[in-house]
Amino acid sequence: MGRGRGLLVLAIVAAMLVTASIATPAALEVRPSDLTLAGGLAMLQRTAVILSLLFVWLIAAVVVTLMSAREVRYSSVELRASALHCFALGLVAITSFVLTAIVFSYFPSVIGVPLLIALAVFAIVTKIYGAIAVFHALGTVVAGARSREALERRRWLRGDLAMVVIGVLLLGAIRLIPVVGTIVWALMSVMGVGTALATKFGRREPWFLAWRPAES
Amino acid sequence: MKDACQRYLEEPEAHPGHLAECEQCRTLFDTLGLQADVQPPPAGALPLAPWEGASHRPWPLVAGGALLVLVVAAAVCFWAGVPPLRVVQSSFSAMTTARTAITTWAESLRQASIVAQIAFGLFFVAVNTALVMLLRRAPRGING
Repeated sequence: MGRGRGLLVLAIVAAMLVTASIATPAALEVRPSDLTLAGGLAMLQRTAVILSLLFVWLIAAVVVTLMSAREVRYSSVELRASALHCFALGLVAITSFVLTAIVFSYFPSVIGVPLLIALAVFAIVTKIYGAIAVFHALGTVVAGARSREALERRRWLRGDLAMVVIGVLLLGAIRLIPVVGTIVWALMSVMGVGTALATKFGRREPWFLAWRPAES
Repeated sequence: MKDACQRYLEEPEAHPGHLAECEQCRTLFDTLGLQADVQPPPAGALPLAPWEGASHRPWPLVAGGALLVLVVAAAVCFWAGVPPLRVVQSSFSAMTTARTAITTWAESLRQASIVAQIAFGLFFVAVNTALVMLLRRAPRGING
């Protein structure tokens, strides 16, 4: 048991190192060109792209919340109840995605390419759903009602949809901060992937069936 | 069993005084080890459940938020001279970068020594074992 736990910790640390090396973007480096007029224009263009993508995130979050509000809420509750587990699971899962993609690249194209496409689709769906769960969790932590009276007094700031919108706007505002935004968004993605997988996309079913011998 | 007892057992909340009067029911509850005198706490004293008020849909807030982001994004795009196509391209460029990196790593691993390939295989197994172990843990969050 102790050895298994030690191996798990080692695997998580290794996963953290791999994920950090993958996730560290070039945007974290402060280049001298950023201080020039052209650098300023490039930063403005980056901001424009981020804001446009934020609008797409907002629409996606609203649509997904309307389609499966209960699942998003379950995942959000899980994220708030065990954030560290979700983070560790997200790190290990992202590392697993990358390593599995490298393994699939080994296969002949006939087998490898469909598997790579399936993995990419799964990873993207996990990331999108997880990010929406993080939006909901953040919105609930920041703007959620603490008591029944406060909830009843509120006209707009209640419900899953409101929490998700608040979360998108908050994280979107943080995303605009040059270096901090990139780091926070990356951490949010890791936690999102973790919470999506920990709750099986809000369905809270086990991923694996438990084996039991048949009763005679 | 009397009719009063039957009615109490079917609907205890509707007949709260019955247990104090009826010796037979008290004996039955004692035999079964049930605590009959436990009153449910008032609903107002319970903590707020995550599902309470969750179905509320504040469309003005959603529309206002979306409009705010859209207007700011459009203004900054116009100011910076960014066409909408550039936004689409930038979202695809991240995927292309990831794909290129994975292809490069796969190619360099193919050309690496057999020891490095075995080490990669062991790392792959270790990471996926850790993933399975973490996935086996049941969710801890309270029921929404």
